[in-house]
Amino acid sequence: MVVTILVAGIATGAIYAMIGLSYNMMYSTSKVVSFTPGQLGMIGAVFGAWFIGVLGFPLWLGFLGAMGVAVVYGFFTELVAVRPVLKSIEQHLYVLTTLAAALMVQQVVAIWWGTDPRPFPILFGLGAGLSSEKYWLPVVACFLAFIGLELFYRKTLWGAAFIAVAEDAEAARALGIPDARIRVVSYCLAAFIGALAGFWGGQLLLAFFAIGATLTFYGFVPIAMGGLGSNRGALIGGFFLGILQQVANYFVGGVFVGVVTFVVFITLLLLVPGGLFGSAVARRV
Amino acid sequence: MMMMRRTALAAALVAVGLSVGLVFGLAGAQSSAGAPPIKIGWLVALTGPNSTPGIGQDRGIRYAADQINKTGGVMGRKIEIVSRDTQGDPTKAVNAALEVINNDKVEFTIGPTNSGECLATQPVIARYKVPSFPIGVVDSLIDTVKFPYSFRVSNNNTQWQEAVLTYAVKVLKAKKIGIIGDTTGYGTMSVNLSEQLLKAQGGVSITYKGEVEANQTDVMADIRKAQSSGAEVMIVWTDSAGLNSRLMNARAELNWNVPFVGHPVLGAGAVKPLLAKPENWKSVYNVGYRPMSFDENGKLPEKSQRFVDTVSSAGVKLDDTMLWWVGLGVDTIQLIKDTVEAAKSSKPDDVKRVLEAGKTFHGVYCTSCTYSSTNHNGYPTEDVVMNRADSFRAGAYGIAPGYGK
Repeated sequence: MVVTILVAGIATGAIYAMIGLSYNMMYSTSKVVSFTPGQLGMIGAVFGAWFIGVLGFPLWLGFLGAMGVAVVYGFFTELVAVRPVLKSIEQHLYVLTTLAAALMVQQVVAIWWGTDPRPFPILFGLGAGLSSEKYWLPVVACFLAFIGLELFYRKTLWGAAFIAVAEDAEAARALGIPDARIRVVSYCLAAFIGALAGFWGGQLLLAFFAIGATLTFYGFVPIAMGGLGSNRGALIGGFFLGILQQVANYFVGGVFVGVVTFVVFITLLLLVPGGLFGSAVARRV
Repeated sequence: MMMMRRTALAAALVAVGLSVGLVFGLAGAQSSAGAPPIKIGWLVALTGPNSTPGIGQDRGIRYAADQINKTGGVMGRKIEIVSRDTQGDPTKAVNAALEVINNDKVEFTIGPTNSGECLATQPVIARYKVPSFPIGVVDSLIDTVKFPYSFRVSNNNTQWQEAVLTYAVKVLKAKKIGIIGDTTGYGTMSVNLSEQLLKAQGGVSITYKGEVEANQTDVMADIRKAQSSGAEVMIVWTDSAGLNSRLMNARAELNWNVPFVGHPVLGAGAVKPLLAKPENWKSVYNVGYRPMSFDENGKLPEKSQRFVDTVSSAGVKLDDTMLWWVGLGVDTIQLIKDTVEAAKSSKPDDVKRVLEAGKTFHGVYCTSCTYSSTNHNGYPTEDVVMNRADSFRAGAYGIAPGYGK
């Protein structure tokens, strides 16, 4: 039983962690907490199922297609819901605009795809029972995304530019770094990572328009636990949340999963207000 | 001079009086020539996540109204369906109810088409004393004191519970029972009600009771726990096709052949594509209705078959909906017609008096619908039965084994 709980918890946690990475990626360059990462997960699952399961595309093409749709959505999110309100960021208008962008895509998908969940295709047919691919594919995707991001930040010029914009956009602009372009790219990359969660976790999530809201909600908890902006925090927070939910469901029942999750979450934030891996930003004076 | 003024005034009054009389006379002559229609407010979710039943019921409502109007209407009055799409939203349903009652002056309302909306609209409709026929299973929707003009044609939740528990205990002979539902208000309420009824009944033990979030990605641990409790039957209360299919898939992965008995959505078409294998649908029984079920020879009751033939030939689609939804729509309109004709009036108190008189209405879905002054639930409990979840065809299911002929 312990193994069952752990396997399901780790797989679900990997999905939450990828959504958390998507939140971080958007936040790092815009300082906006966007409400769209969960919908990106939904797009990955629904369009993956449509391209591969309905249209019969091969896996690689279906994957690229689903990621492409998500990237386009990420691009328009930055263009329509984020850029216009950045000048008055202290008014937090992005809460409304990104929420509107999230709700719109959810409604459009519900009308087009239908409101019943549909199956996500079996991608490789590997494993059975607890070793089924549906459990380990999201975990592999999550670690690859995390490692890829670390390499991107540490080894590439674009990554260095990302870090510069994340730390101080004005200073980066003064140094000639195109911060607006970096922000657009970060939203596209965040969309890619968010859609990875839905695509590789699709066999667990199902292709269902309503999973976006759930992922938006539970995907935010890991970054708040781990510290907003910290990818390592999102990773550990995601796995912690996934396992916590399964344990709470087993021992106290599904009705109390949300209660247990938020009691732990609030307690943690009271003890460590900046999150487990959050750090105070030093500012030059 | 004074005399002339009085004469002129009298003449003017006569002229005004004649004009007014002429206007009212003409109006009166017009209304007797073409009787006003019986307006029925139809509050239905035709779009949105909860719209599937409403679409089926809408076909029945419109078919029945058309048929009645073609044959002269109700005492010379046509039936006019004034429909509003509530989208499954209680707020929109309340606004729609107020609109059709106040603006369209409907004399009856049917719907809304799910319990959540009905809970919101019932007190509003009751305030206007409009005879109403809500379509929802929550027991409290029908209350002869709070909502004296409301009557239910469909079943209530207790009848579903009785059918499910009776099947589990008396037909499947289970002594150890597991109960699982989702964490919505409906799911938890149904799980608790099953537990209470089973405890009151005695003779069985509840070995597992659990509630799972409808979107929970994996239910293997829950099913494993239920299995290790020794449950011989699992009672399932969720209207989520995703959760139902996950439960069935997990059961199959554990090679656990315990029967699932419960909510109608266990047999919904949306479940089928979500199953890892078609055989995962075996030994699953969803609640249904005897008049709308195929017998062991694959035949519908004679009256239901005639109904299917008639509505199909009239162009009503049945293959993508439930037969009982269409039947419920037809029966409700027919019940209104019969009641108005018996009362020779469509006034609320006359309608209520006739319905409460105890005369049985024989419909196609509600084959013996009877009301009284203390009971406004008309559906006969003995007609609520279990179906085989994997047997859906042409809008109906096969009856579950154990009911005999």
